[in-house]
Amino acid sequence: MALVRHHGKRNYKKVNDRLLKIIYEFEKILHGAMKFIMKSIFIFLFFVPFLLDAQQYDLLIKNGHIIDPKNNIDAVKDIAITNGKIAKVDDNISSAQSKKTIDATGLYVVPGLIDIHTHVFVGSTPDKFANGIYSVSADDFSFKSGVTTVVDAGTSGWRNFPLFKEQVIDKSQTRILAFLNIAANGMSGKPTEEDINEMNADSAALVAEKYKDIIVGIKIGHYTGSDWTPFNKALDAANKSNTPMFVECHLPQYSLQDQLQKMRPGDIITHSYEQITERMPIVDSSGKVRSFVLDAQKKGVLFDVGHGGAGFWFSQAVPAFQQGLAPNSFGSDLHRFSMNAGMKSMLNIMSKYMAIGMSLEDIVTRATWNPAKSIKHEELGNLSEGSVADIAVLSVQNGKFGFIDAGGNKIEGNKKLEAELTIRAGKIVWDLNGLSAQEWKK
Amino acid sequence: MVKLVNRIIVSTSARRNDVQCLFICLAQKNILIMLHQKKSSQQFLKKIIRIIGLVFFCSNILHAQQIDILLKGGHVIDPKNKIDEQMDVAIANGKIAQVAKDIPVKNAKQVIDVSGLYVTPGIIDMHVHVFNGTDVDVYIANGLTSLPPDGFTFRAGVTTVVDAGSSGWRNFRQFKKQTIDKAQTRVLAFLNIVGNGMVGRFEEQDTTDMNPQQTAYMIKKMFPDIIVGIKAAHYWGDFTQVDRAVAAGKLANVPVMVDFGEHQPPNSIEALFMQHLRPGDIFTHAFSYGPTVRETIVDSNGKVKPFVFAAQKRGIIFDVGHGGGAFSWRQAVPAMQQGFQPNTISTDLHAESMNGGMKDMSNVMSKFLAMGMSLQDVIFRSTWNPANVIKRPDLGNLSVGADADVAVFNVRKGDFGFLDVRKTKLKGTQKLEAELTIRAGKIVWDLNGISATSWEEELQKGK
Repeated sequence: MALVRHHGKRNYKKVNDRLLKIIYEFEKILHGAMKFIMKSIFIFLFFVPFLLDAQQYDLLIKNGHIIDPKNNIDAVKDIAITNGKIAKVDDNISSAQSKKTIDATGLYVVPGLIDIHTHVFVGSTPDKFANGIYSVSADDFSFKSGVTTVVDAGTSGWRNFPLFKEQVIDKSQTRILAFLNIAANGMSGKPTEEDINEMNADSAALVAEKYKDIIVGIKIGHYTGSDWTPFNKALDAANKSNTPMFVECHLPQYSLQDQLQKMRPGDIITHSYEQITERMPIVDSSGKVRSFVLDAQKKGVLFDVGHGGAGFWFSQAVPAFQQGLAPNSFGSDLHRFSMNAGMKSMLNIMSKYMAIGMSLEDIVTRATWNPAKSIKHEELGNLSEGSVADIAVLSVQNGKFGFIDAGGNKIEGNKKLEAELTIRAGKIVWDLNGLSAQEWKK
Repeated sequence: MVKLVNRIIVSTSARRNDVQCLFICLAQKNILIMLHQKKSSQQFLKKIIRIIGLVFFCSNILHAQQIDILLKGGHVIDPKNKIDEQMDVAIANGKIAQVAKDIPVKNAKQVIDVSGLYVTPGIIDMHVHVFNGTDVDVYIANGLTSLPPDGFTFRAGVTTVVDAGSSGWRNFRQFKKQTIDKAQTRVLAFLNIVGNGMVGRFEEQDTTDMNPQQTAYMIKKMFPDIIVGIKAAHYWGDFTQVDRAVAAGKLANVPVMVDFGEHQPPNSIEALFMQHLRPGDIFTHAFSYGPTVRETIVDSNGKVKPFVFAAQKRGIIFDVGHGGGAFSWRQAVPAMQQGFQPNTISTDLHAESMNGGMKDMSNVMSKFLAMGMSLQDVIFRSTWNPANVIKRPDLGNLSVGADADVAVFNVRKGDFGFLDVRKTKLKGTQKLEAELTIRAGKIVWDLNGISATSWEEELQKGK
């Protein structure tokens, strides 16, 4: 350009005036345009970091009281989400940095709850759990009580797990993990459920290995014989797949003491606080927790609530809690017969423990990080940066409440947990009071 | 003669208990003695009438002494019987035995203190999808979008749901076997005019599968006690589907429920209300806003179209049918402000509405409280009105002798927000919460254990 100008100046008088003037004007315009473009690029480059920064987060939850037991956080903080992951947890994150901001003042922000005892292999087979109507659909109950992960407790076995996966797990919004039943067809009822020949530790371990992202352990339950073979096979399968064993109560011929003795550290016993004839209660008739039960706890056996329709009694749970046997997890044992009874939801079970006297921090630990560890999914149940954004925003209602156990008996309480907002992989999947919404006229 | 008398007595004693049977036996014995004595027929008849009267009298006395559940001190709202005040409700043998002030507690096996709460007939949700199944390739019929009802009903005070055309005449029997017969909730149904029900949008266009004759047969000849009407929905064409449904409705003498959307451009709802539907037919998704495919009842200036009032006067039933996409504040609020109220409140429960703005029936009812509808009106439009619309006047009321389907509500006070399907919110200060739900005399939901005893008390008793 400079050359042209020089050329232009030097030959101004020699060349046709008019033509040169045009060229010169054109040049001036071009020069101005270039300057403008350069300036624009400069301005653009200068502001790019700010532009990006302004919309850095997809969702920001401000001013909530965060309880994140894994990271020892128990304070009012902000939490930001991007691309379905936790992006940042900090004292003050500016709402200008987020596309959307939710004010959670007065509410508790906790990792999405984990319910490690459910029956969700729902199907249309009448009067059955496995692929049947006694199971329920996870999404129908999870999000409204802050739950983002459920673990199916052995409704399927190695034979019908693929059907369970195709029909239910792959279609669910709730994350579904599973304990695999040592019975080949899971909870298919008698006689198939008790067929020892079909209980194959190798097949179970093979299926557990093949679907290791979903299957978290091996379950034994519902066996009425006195032969220990089913129990031993479950243990064998758990050893082979390097997963915990999940032990249910419906083993009336096995003594509780023997079961606990055979269990390894990290194995889980459920229906811990039940008081039915099928299993010796953990609290004896004088109100004391049996010593071998406390020994098992010391050894590292984990106690799950497994409330269900018959698995939770205040007459067991209250003395046990007072004597130091608190549950490690609040498995609900959700199914058709518990959903409308004393159980209702995992959040309701957690509220029961508030009424019994457990602190909220302790309750959240046992509903998130503890179960995540026990099923060896430590990527879940926490709010670490980079973790999947499964989050529950809870409110504590104050008032006069009552809670029923499996025996139809009541405990009174003055606090109750309610799920205000549930987020699954960064997406709002439940919003009780429109916390995330604009008013309709705005 | 003896046989005849016995039959009369036995039929009157069908649901009596042992003591009452004893009385009946005594009566029979008297009659037999009289027959042997060969008294004149006139005397004989007089005596019979007296004895039968005595049997009734005695059994009524015994009846009064055997209340299974007594709901004490609640505020009863029973629109059919025009009750709106504090009364007690007695339940015996699965039926409403008495509704009165100060029913003595000494006759009751169980007394539940419901003071401060509202006692209403079990709620009727007349638009749900509950043909739950395992076919992963279908939409609603035998698919995952339909839900098993019991997990949503009792906790919201609902005791009766009406499935809105998930099945047609071809697959209704499967629906019945799989869901209806297995549910604790009373499940009634509108039969889809499409023989295969709601398999998918594509199949729902098949006019050769819209058979009024078969549809009417299925209702009249096969299941008149369960199927209460006919559904027309999701049709892209003209009025063919609606007209077929109405033809079937005439044959079976039942109402037609219409989901009238998905036409591009929208078909005229004025023509639908005034020319195609009959009085008593139902227009659902009344407050839906999707103007490109569905004509709205409120115009773009926020005014209810005049013919909408005229249609309601003509007898067209406007149903809420909230669903996942069919309830917008921008329609509902202006309509309510201009005096247009829906005849029936319903949810359109399915997998895509359950966790959204809809949630459950008590939440949808609470929305109408938030818009200024009185509690009495909300209950009326969720009990007695739907019962009449589906021609089931045995439901939705607390008359003596009716099935004991009862809901007990708490009106929670606080700051609440209610979402519509467009994720905008309306604030409210009241929210209905189902404290206790009773289905056919059985407690099927108890939120705070108002029917339970304290565990410590129970432990003491055990010791």
